[in-house]
Amino acid sequence: MTQKNTDIADLADFGRFSEPALLILVSLAAEPRHGYSMTEDIEAIAGVRLGPGTLYGALARLEARGFIEPLKSEDRRNPYRLTALGERALRARLDSMLAVARAGQRRLASA
Amino acid sequence: MRWLLRLYPAAWRERYGEEFGAVLDSQHASVGLVLDVISGAIDAHLYPQVFAQNNSQNRNSETSQIQKGDAMTLAMFQRCSIGGPKLTPDERRIASRLAIGTSFVMALLYVLLTKIYREAPAVQAVIWSAILAPNIINTQMVYLRKRSWLTHAIIVGGGILGMYAFMLAVCVVARRL
Repeated sequence: MTQKNTDIADLADFGRFSEPALLILVSLAAEPRHGYSMTEDIEAIAGVRLGPGTLYGALARLEARGFIEPLKSEDRRNPYRLTALGERALRARLDSMLAVARAGQRRLASA
Repeated sequence: MRWLLRLYPAAWRERYGEEFGAVLDSQHASVGLVLDVISGAIDAHLYPQVFAQNNSQNRNSETSQIQKGDAMTLAMFQRCSIGGPKLTPDERRIASRLAIGTSFVMALLYVLLTKIYREAPAVQAVIWSAILAPNIINTQMVYLRKRSWLTHAIIVGGGILGMYAFMLAVCVVARRL
């Protein structure tokens, strides 16, 4: 199995936290953010407002897998940033989704 | 709403409690929010990601990943093994012997009763109860370890009698079908 496929499997292993984890990675792709900032950003880009239980369930998994890491903070709101491993996993997942979307559009166009 | 944080494991609260509280404060109270937090708490107890982090000195190294997996497997094994992690080795031995002894006694009782009463529902209920009785013995060793023997006897005896009554009702109904 290639490294790329391993990264895809890692995100897929998140179960019901798979989609929130993807949204968090997308949110952190722009810049480091803390929890509140992530929920605002995710709501803006995907129209979904993650509850704190879902947000931190996904965050804990991403951190445990080394996809994101916390930055030192002076206040109680810990910002997180994407790691190199997280960036690879995000690219792999987005490429996979893009391939599926293109295939679907091609089939719809020829139907 | 901050009281909902108490539902989470202590290690989890120590790691994420402050920032989680900040996000919680920023959202309007609703049934959906409460359910989200409760389901998150259940998840944190079932899949303790924080535990995995504490055992990881260098999560990017293969060795660290293996050690992390070993520690989690050991913790799961301890939680699932007879008696659980709260028992001393002596208490585990007593729990195991009590469980095995209960199974033998109930099996012997079943054989004797079958010889006398044949396949009466009350006899059938004995063997069905024998399946779960060792679990009751083990459970009480964990949760009642600091209670008196009278408490043990009442709860274990009551549990086994209650289970026998249930099994007897099932066997009677099944016989009449």
